[in-house]
Parts: sequence; C-alpha cells; structure tokens
Amino acid sequence: MRWRVVFYMVGILVFFLGLIMIFPLLYAWYFNDASFGSLLQSTVVTIFIGAALYTALRTGPLDYISQREGMAIVAIGWTAVGLFAAMPFYLCGIFDTFVNAFFESVSGFTTTGASVMTDIEAVPRGILLWRSLIQWLGGMGIIVLSVAILPFLGVGGMQLFKAEVPSPVPDKLKPRVSDTAKTLWKVYALISLVELLLLLVGGMGFFDALCHTFTTMPTGGFSPKNLSIAHYGSLYFDIVIMVFMLLAGVNFSLHFQMLKGKPLAFWRDSECRFYLLVIAVLIVLVSFNVYGQVYQSIGSALRHGAFQVISILTTTGYATADFNQWPAMSKLILLLCMFIGASAGSTGGGMKLMRIMCCFKYCYKELFNLVHPHAVAPVKIGGKTVSDAVIGSILGFLALYMGLFGLCSVLLAGLGVDFTTAFSAVAASIGNIGPGLGLVGPIGNYAGIPDPGKWLLIWCMLLGRLEIYTVIIFLAPVFWKK
Amino acid sequence: MRIIIVGAGEVGFHIASRLSLENKDVVVIDMDPAAVARVSENIDVEVIVGSGSSPVVLEEAGIKEAEILLAVTDSDETNLVACLMADTISSATKKLARIRQKDYDAYHQIFHDSPPHIDTVINPEIEVVRTIERFMGVPGAVDVGEFADGRLKFVGIYLDKGARLAGLRLSELPRKIGNKVLVAAVVRNERLIIPGGDDRIYPGDLIYFISEEGGLARILKAFDKEFNPLKRAFIVGGGRLGLRLAKSLEQKSIYTKLIEKAPARCSELAEQMNKVVVIKGDGSDQGLLVEENIQDMDVVITLTDDEETNILVSLLAKRMGAKKTITRLSKFSYFPLMSSIGLEQVVSPRLSAIDTILQYIRRGKVLSARTISDEQAEVWEAEALETSDIVGRPLRETDMPNGALVIGIIHGEEILIPSGESVIQPHDRIILFAKRQVISKLEKILTVKLEFF
Repeated sequence: MRWRVVFYMVGILVFFLGLIMIFPLLYAWYFNDASFGSLLQSTVVTIFIGAALYTALRTGPLDYISQREGMAIVAIGWTAVGLFAAMPFYLCGIFDTFVNAFFESVSGFTTTGASVMTDIEAVPRGILLWRSLIQWLGGMGIIVLSVAILPFLGVGGMQLFKAEVPSPVPDKLKPRVSDTAKTLWKVYALISLVELLLLLVGGMGFFDALCHTFTTMPTGGFSPKNLSIAHYGSLYFDIVIMVFMLLAGVNFSLHFQMLKGKPLAFWRDSECRFYLLVIAVLIVLVSFNVYGQVYQSIGSALRHGAFQVISILTTTGYATADFNQWPAMSKLILLLCMFIGASAGSTGGGMKLMRIMCCFKYCYKELFNLVHPHAVAPVKIGGKTVSDAVIGSILGFLALYMGLFGLCSVLLAGLGVDFTTAFSAVAASIGNIGPGLGLVGPIGNYAGIPDPGKWLLIWCMLLGRLEIYTVIIFLAPVFWKK
Repeated sequence: MRIIIVGAGEVGFHIASRLSLENKDVVVIDMDPAAVARVSENIDVEVIVGSGSSPVVLEEAGIKEAEILLAVTDSDETNLVACLMADTISSATKKLARIRQKDYDAYHQIFHDSPPHIDTVINPEIEVVRTIERFMGVPGAVDVGEFADGRLKFVGIYLDKGARLAGLRLSELPRKIGNKVLVAAVVRNERLIIPGGDDRIYPGDLIYFISEEGGLARILKAFDKEFNPLKRAFIVGGGRLGLRLAKSLEQKSIYTKLIEKAPARCSELAEQMNKVVVIKGDGSDQGLLVEENIQDMDVVITLTDDEETNILVSLLAKRMGAKKTITRLSKFSYFPLMSSIGLEQVVSPRLSAIDTILQYIRRGKVLSARTISDEQAEVWEAEALETSDIVGRPLRETDMPNGALVIGIIHGEEILIPSGESVIQPHDRIILFAKRQVISKLEKILTVKLEFF
C-alpha cells in the first residue's frame, strides 16, 4: 500500500475540483452575487491545497495502481472532495456548524439530494448553482471524469474505474477504460443538454432549468425551490422531468447503443425491460391507492403517483406531492422503491434492479432444484449464465446492504430520532434518494437530525454511492495488514 | 487501431499488455474464464470469454473494424480456424497465427497465398533456434540482435567483476577499444538508463551496444570475453526444439550430443539424424554427464519442456565445468532472476513469438523490431522516409523524443555509427533504440513531419 500514491491522486482530484469551482465563481462575479467572496476563498484554498499535494508527492511515472490503492483513492478522494466542496456552504454563512455544510456537500456528490437547508430560496444563487453542479459531477462520477480527461492514468485508471463504478457485471463500452469514461461522459452531457433545452422551451428560467438539469440526470434531486418541482405546478415540466428521470435510471451503455443507431436496445436488455415493468406496475398500484383518498380525479392521481414512483425508484428524490400524507400502502411501496433502486450502470442508487433480478432468479432456481434435485439450472440473465461467483457476490452485497441498513437505523433511533424518520432516513441515505418519511419527508428536511446522526448519514450516503465495498473495506482488519 | 488477440496465454497476455500501453484498442478472446479474468484485471483491454474460432465471437469482438488478428492459442488447429473465419468475415484484416507443428512447416507459404490468407505464420521454434545460434556466435552476450543483414550487431553483455573497462567513462570507450562502438543503454539494478558520455560503467552492469560485425571480436576481447570457435555442443531435451537445433548444428559440422529421457523418442531422433550422438538418459544424472565429458563441452543447451529442470541442469553443467550454457525458459517472472544465479543466456519461444508479432505490427515503417531487457525498450530497423522530420539535418537538431536514439545509419552499402553531426538522407535505413514510453511518439515521427498533427 503506497500512501504517497494515494494522496498524490487525491491531490489531483482536489485540484480538479478547485478548477470546476471557477464555474460558479464566474457566475457569482458576473451577477454580483452575495456568494462571490465565499466562492473565491474556497476556490483559491482548494486549488492551492490540491496543487500542493500534487507537487509535493509527485514521483516517477505511475506504472500501476493496485486494487487496494484504487479503493483507498476512491474512498478518500470522495471524502476529500466532499470536504472541499463544503467550503462555500460553510463560508457563506448559511450554516452555523460545519457538519451541516459537509452533509449538504456529500449529499450533493453522492446524488442523494437530502438537504439541511431550511429556506432554499433565500440562499445566494452562486451557492445553489454549486450545489446543483456537484450533483451533476457526482452522478457520472468525478473519478470517471478524471479517468476520461487525464491521459496518464492508463492501467491505474482501470482500478479506479472499477472502484467507483462497481456494477455486478461490469461492461466496457470501448476496449480502453479512458475511452469508455469519455463515452459515458459524452452521452451523459448530451442527454443533459437535451433536457436543458426542453425545460427552456417550456418557459422555465435559465437558472432554474440549468439547476434542474444538473440534478435530474445524476438522479440527484436538489432543487433551487423550497417546494421542489411542485413549485411550478406545470404538467409539461412534470412530464419532461419524469422522462429524464426514467432515462437517467437506465444503464448508460444502452443509451450509447441507442445513439449508435440501435433503437431497440432498451427493449432487448432484460434488466431494462424489468425496470420498465416494475415502474409500470408500481405506478398503477400507487395511483389506484391514492385515487379517491387524496386525489379526486384519475388524471391527477396518475400524474402524482407516476411522478413520485419514478422519482423514488430512480433515487432522484424530487417531489410534486407530499407523499407523507398518502395512505400507508403507497408509503410502503415508495419505501420499497428506495431499496430497489435503478438499473446497474445508471446514475441511480439503491440495490440496483440487476441484483434484485439475480436474487429472485436464484431463489427460483433453489425451489426448482428442490423439485428436480438433479436438474442443471443455471441462473440466466439476458440468455447468458451468471456465474456462481457473481451470484455469491450479489447475495453478499444484498446481505451487507440490509445489515448496514439495520445497524444504522438502530443507531439513528438511539440518538432520539423517531421510528419512521430513523428508518426512512437511513434507507433514503444508503439508497441515495433524499427525502424519506416522517420528519425528513418531501416537505421537511434533515436539519432536525442531531449532529452525530448527520455524521452517520453522511457515511451512509458514501456507502450507497460507492456500493458499500469500497467504503466498508476500511473497517476490515485485512485491509490494513501488510 | 483495433487488434484482436485470440488466446490469453503467456504470449497473448504479454502482447496485449504491450499494445494497451501504446494506446491501441485491444480485444482479447479466450475460452478459459480464469485466463480472461487475469487479463481483464491487469490490462486495460476488452475481454470476451468464448472460442476464438467461432465466427459469432469474432463478430462480437469487432473483427470487421479490426486491423490485425493474432491467433496465439496453444492449439494450431484453433489458430488456423480462427484465421479462416476472420478471412471469411473480414478479408481486409491482417492475420498472424502461431503454428508450431513441424508438419505445417512446408505449408506456410500456401497458407499465405490461399485461404486462410495468413499474413505471417509465427513459428517461435524456428526463431529460438536462430537465437541460440546467434548466442553461440557471440560469447558472453545475453542478447544479440542483427541488423542490416547481420552486418550490424546489437549486443547486450554483462561487465564482469574485475573487468578492465570497469569505472571507465563512456566517452573514453572507443579509444580504449580502438574501434567504433556506441553504447545505447545500460541496465543497472533492473533499471534501464540511457547514458551520456560522462557516465561510467561498473561491474554488474548490463551494457547494450551496437557494433559492426568485423569489430565485434575486438570489443568482446576488451570486455574480457573469450572468442573461441565452437566445436562441441550438448543438448538436453529431445523435443521439437532439441531436434530442430540438433539438425541445424549437424549441418554446421559441430559435434553434437543430444540427451533424451524417453526411449521411444530416442530411437525416433536417432533415425532422423546421422552424426548427432543420441543418448538415452536423464539430463540431471551427474554420473551420466561425467561419462559424456560435460566438462569439455563448449556449450550446454537445456531445452526440456520443464523450465525448472532446465535451470537446474544448466547450473549443474556450469558447476561441472561446461564453458557456457543456454537455458530455455517460459515463465517471464523468472527472467530477472537468471543473471543473479549466473545463467545469462536465456531463450524463450514465447519471447521470440512476441518479437515476431511486434515486428509485424510495427511493419510499414519498421523493418525489424526486437525488445530488450524485460521489454523496457525496443530496437528498430526502419526506413527514413522523405516526409519524416529526422531527415536532412544533423541529428542534434532533430526533435527526437527523450529516450530515443539513432544508433546506426545504413546508407547504401556504407554503415555508419552516428554522432550528433551525422545527417540522415531520405531512404537510408536507420537503427533506432527507444524506451517503451516514447514508442508511440517515435512511430509518428518516422512517418510524417510533426507539423501535420
């Protein structure tokens, strides 16, 4: 384990972040925004510290990065990036404690979208822009971005890529990892651009449209409005945002195939079919449940039911309705959605549909083998056999996910948080959703959680975004053994 | 450039790792998921688990866009079928296949002219026999490359303890030896350095230099290596390689003994050769070696399929007084150890195959290429095109990347070992030495002027 290499790479990431900070800084300078001073300080400090780490620790050419170092770089890098990105929030004076600023920033980077801001519309716009921008960066991954841009990472880039984008069955779009990263970012940016244009066409202001685009595509959920999307009350915006949330929850390699001229790619992929099916069924159930109890017309029941299901299942976390007030069945379905999450290889969080599918098929296989003890019945996804090793790692992941969820919600309840809030806040943090139920519902926010609880949730968000192993490995004694 | 490699064995793995470092798009295909996993975990390439001879798998790997297909599985048949499939699906793709069985030897040209249209058949055994013969010609050398039809030799040699040249500045070297010599690189503690004139050489250094064929004997003498003509050779292991080498030595009238364990194979060998003495026995049997006068042998060559046996037999032979040993190795991870246990001359069919493949991939600009010192650098023979940036002005004014050197110029019949003032004329053949890191830059420089990019 070469710590020098780890912190050298972290230095590069921090430096990179500093450069990106220039973007909201320019905005604040141009519009004479109140956040200019705090953004300027943060930018200078971030660039300086990043450059200092980079130059002080630079060694010869980096031939390789071991898997262990890759994990350390990603986990420490994400924490460091979260810390530095929190500086503008803290310095501009909207939070009195640093943990609030850190919470907001990690919530952004991990595309969770859980906020501790009580009055969002009162916050200077430069800060709001920064808040949305870090979600956009975190969605496709800041490390994937640096792998795409920095040519020298080479083989090392592959280890980083694997640690940041750990899907059960990784697929490379191009033979080389830097090309894959570039392609992913291009597809991501292209779809974002389309969304921006559609929102502008519908008459949303440029600033709002930009912020919402930055937080839809990564399935983030930060909104510059207190009431989130409900602020507009416009069917057009609801539909546009629903469509793009749906797109963001699809494996990006399918978008790539589609752009290359294979329009049926979505339908051919078994996970994507499952994704669309799950969404359709849940929309029907929720709309049927809220019809008559909350909404008097079928149209608005369907509209709000669909929006909430898509928003929570893709782990975005926008709201057009306060589902806290909905009947128990709808609330429970939405809670389940938090665990299911979006497709593997998308920007969404949660357990990922691919894993759920494998798990179901494996359970069925076990039943099948009880009836036919001698049958050879491999688990197949899309016509291909999933190896036992992959099944094992998927089951291990699901067990860890549930175990950590249980542990953290007990701890949070121990800090004096009520039952529903503790339960749903942890589920919404590990799943990178944002709003939960109870105190942290779509209308409320996380400001009421005690400070130690915020630290716990920060950790949960990182766990969820980096798919557990990369973060939890630091607690394993074997990691530290030479 | 997309390159498809069928077979993720040692050769496939190494070629893939070399090419991925040079920013080529590489796809590796193998049946064995474990071998594929080893590739995907270590190298930045695309991998596919499947049979390389299957047209479906080849299509999936993007054979239609591929420039080169390398078929390097262990099975000749798979390699041939893979090339045939590639030829059918995408005839524009260049095909290289490793084919080792001797029966196919006579058909290499036919494979080229009619389907499957294999552009180059790689038979590493032929290459290895050539390498062994080159080693025999240059005592003490760990690496011998020939350029300009053998008139220029690129030699790697260890400086022994107590050698007369130890501690000498490189700028003093030509005067001391009294001959033209250019030191291209020094490998010290497994790191390759490109030295300047003020750098000194020390015992234990592996020195790579280029020299004209005629002056080689004098240089070797200065390095305290004896230059005795080779009369007696002893080969351990009568496999395909052993047989090939023995036959070739027989033709050169070198007195050769060949030792082989399996009785049936011994009679086969004896039937095929007249002058070579075939001995039935175990190469690690000390008594047998004494009986066969191992101490009087000029060279002992261990070529069995088991590399550990080869290493031990070579060590034993050296201890018993053999003047020189050449050892066949396959595992690349053993290579760095060999010089520390005193076995400097090592051959490897896999390394030979890699050299041949690299040479092919660089073709167009490069006539011949070979890797040196654990693939840290390459030596090329190339033609200087008129459009190239290095033509027509003194070398010191050209924009050669750091880590690349021109070490020889062949102008018609004339051979020149260049200095900073030398000027390369269009269509000269040049010998280049380049560190791995600058290879892609050098490829560009050789083709067109840099302004075009």
